[in-house]
Amino acid sequence: MAAPLICPQTAPAPALFSVRGLRLSFPDTAHKPLFAPAPRIEVLKGLDLDLPRGQITGIVGESGSGKSTLGRVLVRLLRPDAGQVLLNGQDIATLDEAALRPLRRNLQMIFQDPMSSLNPRHKIWRIVAAPLARYANDTSTRNASAARRDQALRALERVGLDPSFGERYPHELSGGQRQRVGIARAIALEPEFILADEIVSGLDVSSQAQVLSLLKSLAQEMNLTIAFISHDLSVIRHLCDNVIVLNRGEILENGPVEQVFAAPQSDITRLLLDAIPLPELDDKWFD
Amino acid sequence: MTMSSTLNIQNLTVSLRSGLPLLRQVNLTLEPGEVRALVGESGAGKSMIGKAVLGTLPPATRVTRGQIFLRGQALDHLNAAQRRHCVAQSAALIPQDPLTALNPVRRIAPQITDPLTRIHGWSAERAQTRALELLDRVEIRDPARVMRSYPHELSGGMRQRILIAAAFAPSPPLIVADEPTTALDVTVQKQILKLIRELQKEVGTAVLFVTHDMGVVAKISQKVSVLFQGRVMEDSTTEAIFSNPTHPYTRALIAATPSYADPARSFSPVPPELIAQMKSKIAQEEIL
Repeated sequence: MAAPLICPQTAPAPALFSVRGLRLSFPDTAHKPLFAPAPRIEVLKGLDLDLPRGQITGIVGESGSGKSTLGRVLVRLLRPDAGQVLLNGQDIATLDEAALRPLRRNLQMIFQDPMSSLNPRHKIWRIVAAPLARYANDTSTRNASAARRDQALRALERVGLDPSFGERYPHELSGGQRQRVGIARAIALEPEFILADEIVSGLDVSSQAQVLSLLKSLAQEMNLTIAFISHDLSVIRHLCDNVIVLNRGEILENGPVEQVFAAPQSDITRLLLDAIPLPELDDKWFD
Repeated sequence: MTMSSTLNIQNLTVSLRSGLPLLRQVNLTLEPGEVRALVGESGAGKSMIGKAVLGTLPPATRVTRGQIFLRGQALDHLNAAQRRHCVAQSAALIPQDPLTALNPVRRIAPQITDPLTRIHGWSAERAQTRALELLDRVEIRDPARVMRSYPHELSGGMRQRILIAAAFAPSPPLIVADEPTTALDVTVQKQILKLIRELQKEVGTAVLFVTHDMGVVAKISQKVSVLFQGRVMEDSTTEAIFSNPTHPYTRALIAATPSYADPARSFSPVPPELIAQMKSKIAQEEIL
């Protein structure tokens, strides 16, 4: 039998994450009867999606569409009710914490608000070194600690922060610099996957442009797979390779950004696009 | 300066106690019914201008030079109580974060009606009617129920609409809107901007609109002041800013704004050389 002929150019990149039939619900405690269990609110209603390795996938939707919940399932901060979450072919949907622990160093996060996700009492190098210490084999000796500090300073350099920043505290940094520290902490362990949840929403335009171009170049250098959650389709258009549009826990669109932006299939996508104020004069924008 | 301007700021310099200036000789005017955007990066002093007008500057700062005229009245000629009264009569604030701006242990109703009865001397019935009317106007369904609610029972978009209703309720000549949509997602942002624009036209209020988003500037304002390190770099009409920006910093801010419609244009941060150049120019002027 002849081997199937696979053309390397058209073969799809193998997915880092493959999600099938993902369902998740939360108890609706506001409407809990006195003696009965609370009714469930279904947040993710059977999602099928792939996150191709080495690519940036944007996840977009209105507030309450389930985009952050989906992200939290990918890094297994939440356990789905049903469905598969395949990471490198291994189903992590139902793994317990002990089984997840060796995988976790591969799944890092960057948070929306760097002020509340960086410990205000720790120096920057210690914040960046924290995940290194968490996964170190040797946590006791002084040498190991010094090595981690050097590793943290190297991570800071990769995000364009001078090693002298290592001795500062978060409050001494600007918003854009703090978000770079968040990125440095996420890449310190050289993970395969990073979840970035609304990481530029709190930044002004110039810092936003800096952080995004940094993320893009790091993704290329380190062959990172990134899930980039945002409500801003302009940002996604510039940064991402693929985009998934969510609405009320369902996928409306899923494809390469050029394709989705050129011909949006759903009204919600068009609504999200129309809602973005572009930096140009337009009298009819409000109509 | 015309006496009819809603707001006239002349040579305003605000400094920290250490002497470090946060605003440097700011001049701007706001005509009745006009929306002026104050735009710049974080730390440029855009919120500080609104705070100087409202008299809510942080304790560590003081006005070292210049004057603010609110509807022709020079505010620095007034004592603290008179100033407070004058500002409360003529101006209102739409803050950035609706959760910290609303008192979490009070129902919505008194939070809207108190300023109307206490500052504007309205009767309780008139204030109540106006509050319901405005809540309806900002498209809140079942305003009577919302009036009885506590802030935590409402969504972020609803809270921001309530603050907009509260700000517009006394039909003030001036509203300071301090990044009112930064915390909201794009579809809610558009609704809120639309509401501010419609109400501003109906009531004839002038708005000082603080934002860092050049897209929002393009849609909501007629005039723009571009700020950098407390200095006005460009003061122009919105039309001129977008069709023919004269200052390189304005061009850089527009270039830093991503646009889904124009993916070929690589959006880029403000060049560090330009920032260094502007800083040294400001330092030179300071010495002279």
